[in-house]
Amino acid sequence: MISRRKKVISFAVTAVALLGLFLISVNTGSLKVSPAELFRGLFIEYDSNVATIYDLRFPRILIAMLGGAAMAVSGVLLQAVMKNPLADPGIIGISSGASLVAVLVTAFFPKLYFFTPLFSFLGGMLAFLLVYSLSYKGGLSPLRIILVGVAVNAMFTGIMSAFNSGTGSGYSGVASIVNSNITMKTWSDFETLFIYTVIGLILSLFVTGQCNLLQLEDKTARSLGVNVTKSRMLISVIAVLLAAISTAVIGPISFLGLIVPHIARLLVGSNHRLLIPYSAVLGAFTFLLADTIGRTIAYPYEISAAVIMSVIGGPFFIILLRRSAHAGK
Amino acid sequence: MPVNEVFRIKDLHFAYGKHEVIKGLELGIKEGTVTTLIGANGCGKTTLFNLMTKNLKPDSGEVLLNGEDVSRTKLKDFAKKVAIVHQYNTAPPDLTVEKLVEYGRSPYHTMGLSPDPAEDEEKVKFALQITDTDKIKDKPVSELSGGQKQRVWIAMALAQDTKILFLDEPTTYLDVRYQLDILRLVRRLNREFGITVIMVLHDINQSLYYSDEIVAMREGRIIASGKPEEVISSRLVKQVYGVDLKIQQVDGKPFVIPV
Repeated sequence: MISRRKKVISFAVTAVALLGLFLISVNTGSLKVSPAELFRGLFIEYDSNVATIYDLRFPRILIAMLGGAAMAVSGVLLQAVMKNPLADPGIIGISSGASLVAVLVTAFFPKLYFFTPLFSFLGGMLAFLLVYSLSYKGGLSPLRIILVGVAVNAMFTGIMSAFNSGTGSGYSGVASIVNSNITMKTWSDFETLFIYTVIGLILSLFVTGQCNLLQLEDKTARSLGVNVTKSRMLISVIAVLLAAISTAVIGPISFLGLIVPHIARLLVGSNHRLLIPYSAVLGAFTFLLADTIGRTIAYPYEISAAVIMSVIGGPFFIILLRRSAHAGK
Repeated sequence: MPVNEVFRIKDLHFAYGKHEVIKGLELGIKEGTVTTLIGANGCGKTTLFNLMTKNLKPDSGEVLLNGEDVSRTKLKDFAKKVAIVHQYNTAPPDLTVEKLVEYGRSPYHTMGLSPDPAEDEEKVKFALQITDTDKIKDKPVSELSGGQKQRVWIAMALAQDTKILFLDEPTTYLDVRYQLDILRLVRRLNREFGITVIMVLHDINQSLYYSDEIVAMREGRIIASGKPEEVISSRLVKQVYGVDLKIQQVDGKPFVIPV
């Protein structure tokens, strides 16, 4: 049991930490400015250093935060729908489905580039429906979802690599989607991500009650007036939207949607009314941290945040998997 | 004076694939009674229970609740009229009793928001008191004993504030002391608050003792229904369960000697 006070403290500490990390991240790199200079440069008078930081670092930092929030909330929603703490949009192939379709559209129909988020969403939905229907066998067993998800993920990733190799990786837009590179992101990328992510996050706040009721037995949720099938579908669509839009702009990120909700549950409990907003903040923090570490650890070279997430997330996932295998028996 | 019927079931048919489970069933449930469905395993009583509670759709025939076909009633509206305690329940490990009982108010909410928080609070308080779970309201449901858990699930159903309560084998998995606790609570809900109770029980003697009406099923049909003392007989027991058992009177009530 976690007391109310502890939950409030966790929330506040994480929010402050996110703000602090934001300021650190703004100042990480060859250009450095003091917080006072930053404030002056942004709001009072022109400063060439601040302007450069504003154009190059700000979009990247904000994109990392939004993407992290979107992936974390997407993870919480999928876990609620599948009643499975191991569901993650990256692991079960939603991200790779989204990026595959995004890559294909960018390569074959460059004129439709503007609609990439929409196609990513369709690709994500396709992957989700595949995993859901293939792993449904009179119920959704946690391990079966993971196994089917890994297979679907491998298939989409494989097609994508094949396509990428076969075309000599000549498309820079494509390469950036495949490699999860957020180095060269601009304000227009941020705008795309911002609009859809905010829509997704707001929608997710409307389904917190349904997420809670879905944690009961299906029959019991029904007897409380919840149309379980419709509710699952609605929540899944929101989850896929969040994962797909983040994938369209950042590229596939694995494990974030798994690790963040897990830590969030330990800190604020499993009530989705708190869990969802908290996971958004913690997700933003975690991914920004991964990106900032990636920028500094091998300076002047950069390691992509998605790579950092995979390196940390892999072992974490194995621990969770082992635990749940014990608990399941 | 004719008693009002809350449920009226007309020519109900249901099959799982080709296997017909409910075969032209007719039944009425009287308002304000405790009615218990009895029957051997596989006689269709759970299927009937699920058909009456909108968990299954009939192939043909109708289940009328106050004259209205339940298959046309929205789930949410149904949940304001009928509360159901299922046999098997689970809750997240950190969910407290009070939070769970508050879930019982969700049929009245729109988009997760309550139009009348004061009423919610009042109904939840009542449900906790009547089931004697108010002292454990801050405990996680997952840490309670079987008997306490069952009371909590009943409390959640009571928070729905319905005139009809369904219970699917509410005493299974409990030892006899808790079985009696639950059955006495059920009778009290009926007698003091006029809640119509429809339940499935395995123990024939508890069914006889705690029910106003008994509905005996066999092979997807009702073979007898009415007051326990009028309905029960060695012949009926033989028909329902396929065994020869004696009936004895204790304090003017019939009991089956189950050996």
